[in-house]
Amino acid sequence: MIKIPDLKPASREERRQYYREEWDVKNIPDFIKKSIDKREFGFDHFGKGPNDRYKVFRNTDYLKRFLKAKTPFAAYCSVAFYEKPRRRDGWLKSELVFDVDAKDIPIRTCGCDSVCEICLNEAREIVCGLLDTLKGDLGLKDIHVVYSGRGYHLRVQDEDVTKLDSDVRSQVVKYLVGADVPQNEYGSEGTTYNLEHFTIPFGYPQVFTERVKYAILHLTKDSKLDNVNEKLIKDLIKHREHLENNEWGMFKNQIGPIRYKKVLKGIASLNMSLVDAKVSIDLKRILRLPSSLHSIVSMKCTEVKDIENFDPFRDAVPKFVYERDD
Amino acid sequence: MIMVSVAFINPLSDDGKQIVREMGSLEGVSDINEELIDAVIQTKSQEISDDDVVPQTYFDFALRRIEWYIKKKNDKKFNYKKYTFLLNDNILKFDVIAFYLLCQAIAIKFGPNSRESRVMVESQGELIENRLGELSKADRKDLVTLMLNSLISYSSIKWTFFEDLLSSRKLNLQDLILDNGEIILDKEEFVERFSDRIEHRDPGKMFDLMIGDRIKELILIRMIMQNTENYMQTVHEKSGREIEPNPVLLELADKVSDVLSASAQSYGYGGSFASDTKASPLNPKAFPPCVKKVLEGMKSGGRNDAIILFLTPFISYARLYPSVFSENISKRVSDVDPNLAALQNEILPMIFGAADRCNPPLFEDQPQEKVNINAKMGFGMHETLELKDEGETIWYTPMSCEKVKIHLPSLCKPDADCKKIGNPLTYYNRKKRMVKKEESQNESPNES
Repeated sequence: MIKIPDLKPASREERRQYYREEWDVKNIPDFIKKSIDKREFGFDHFGKGPNDRYKVFRNTDYLKRFLKAKTPFAAYCSVAFYEKPRRRDGWLKSELVFDVDAKDIPIRTCGCDSVCEICLNEAREIVCGLLDTLKGDLGLKDIHVVYSGRGYHLRVQDEDVTKLDSDVRSQVVKYLVGADVPQNEYGSEGTTYNLEHFTIPFGYPQVFTERVKYAILHLTKDSKLDNVNEKLIKDLIKHREHLENNEWGMFKNQIGPIRYKKVLKGIASLNMSLVDAKVSIDLKRILRLPSSLHSIVSMKCTEVKDIENFDPFRDAVPKFVYERDD
Repeated sequence: MIMVSVAFINPLSDDGKQIVREMGSLEGVSDINEELIDAVIQTKSQEISDDDVVPQTYFDFALRRIEWYIKKKNDKKFNYKKYTFLLNDNILKFDVIAFYLLCQAIAIKFGPNSRESRVMVESQGELIENRLGELSKADRKDLVTLMLNSLISYSSIKWTFFEDLLSSRKLNLQDLILDNGEIILDKEEFVERFSDRIEHRDPGKMFDLMIGDRIKELILIRMIMQNTENYMQTVHEKSGREIEPNPVLLELADKVSDVLSASAQSYGYGGSFASDTKASPLNPKAFPPCVKKVLEGMKSGGRNDAIILFLTPFISYARLYPSVFSENISKRVSDVDPNLAALQNEILPMIFGAADRCNPPLFEDQPQEKVNINAKMGFGMHETLELKDEGETIWYTPMSCEKVKIHLPSLCKPDADCKKIGNPLTYYNRKKRMVKKEESQNESPNES
């Protein structure tokens, strides 16, 4: 089993070995291959950022030749489709994407500085939750999950959403992550009723409940929530077993209504960092090319077919890592 | 049989267009109209204390529409009885004509992205809501259903259908009940889809509470608002191709603008008092929490965006052009700071200070970012700030709270004053006024 310390940066020689011996054009997902001539490609040759941009490939053969010759530090392609990708001109549409980076997720139980098995698995759990909402609530079907090397990209191809502008995408992000505390007062015929989010098993309140549950079940004593003191964090941890059984009423009683409200606000604010929203609203973003090498951690950026059972340390490690001497 | 005409709710409907066609031309829109005066006077519960209250012409009527909205929104002593006629469907013809006059006048003179357009669209939404509120429950339900049916195909609406409303934030995705991509509006559909998930509650009652007629009305109102906005956009585009706009419409547009300016003086419409949003030295006590946080220096991610995209536009506009959003006129820095003295001596030191307090200091490892600061203030990609380069790039306006949440989520730690504002600059203008008031109150005992 590969361990995190084994995942040191790939040397120039290892990159060469990867692209010339292991990389296969077959590993580029079809959703990219079939639109290759409409996308902009970008490359980072020296580990200083993708500054070789505006590249275009008429078909996979040209891309193959380029990768094998240049063996780049990192390879990217646009989420956007253009009439003239060489000039990023004539924007046609963009995939709807969500970027979950394990090192940036707001509540991590590991406390590591970069990424490790634990936070990568937590990123995977978050992705599973987002997928449920994308499919169940938003009715999206053509979704591809890509392991990026340090987290996951969700890439939605449904025609309905690829033309959406940044403002709508930002609303989708907020819905998906549970960025606002849902209203809890509903009126009917002049009477107001109080319905807590956890008593509503559908729609946005349910999404929010799921995200709150995830956050509370992953809190550690060192976790930080806006306007929530250490004592309250401690109490949340102490009583969270109620949430494992979905006993929300009991949990709220133990915490107290005012403190509970504070917790909801704190988690809602934190939820905005579950995904990198900048990526989702950017219609011209370039994302790491699935099949390429993430040279900083020596892992393969790879399409994930079965997210429930995906293990990056089994499924995304290039051969050269196993052959390293030290 | 519903008693109210569809055009009274939606002037853009076929019925509404028919009324405009019958009117024919703009002739006589500023003449005294006895029929209108009668309709207003005969409105039940209408309070007529003086003649000024009664609109005498189509013009007057149009302005009353705007005035009603502004006063209702801002005036704590608003007397709604002076405007009861706006809810009386006997004024239908005048209302529809006034609606078109306003849309055209505002679109031609100010364009679709102006403050005047925003007020027009908002006032239409508010009027619809109030007019629906006057109907019996059954009539209201029937009318809403009838109108929605004419606007959308009713069975199974996908959320993406409302792309425009979501984009302009007239509709919030979180307010809709979604299942498998569809918006649930029908009770039977709701019960069928969700009853097995709902425990200890009657699914029918749950529907009435969560969806009922509320969401349908919300969608209807927001669609009409969006269509009003789209109509103004079309008029604006067409007017650009025409030779001379009708002077009658330009006159009305000016009067609408006067109503808004007067309200800005009285109520600070748009969240800022015109008199207090003049360029003046910065008052850091009035900065919102997000700005204070960046000024302390960013200790973790988002350092570049925080200093360049967020702080630079905020500080420069707060110091030089704090009324940018209410005036809605594009300016260059030199329009308000001709020799760039405030820019060099007040604005840049504050931005550079914040950059130095970052960890690591921003310019230590990325000195090229200084150029980006100049670019965001309109001076192109140059290392020095020179008037000759001004205009090569645009002077970025401050990010809205919404954008801050997306780009720099860690910055948004709202305090109580953040609740009613949508932009950190608006917060600053309001708070500056409050701080000034507090300070003058503290000083007054010494003065007396």
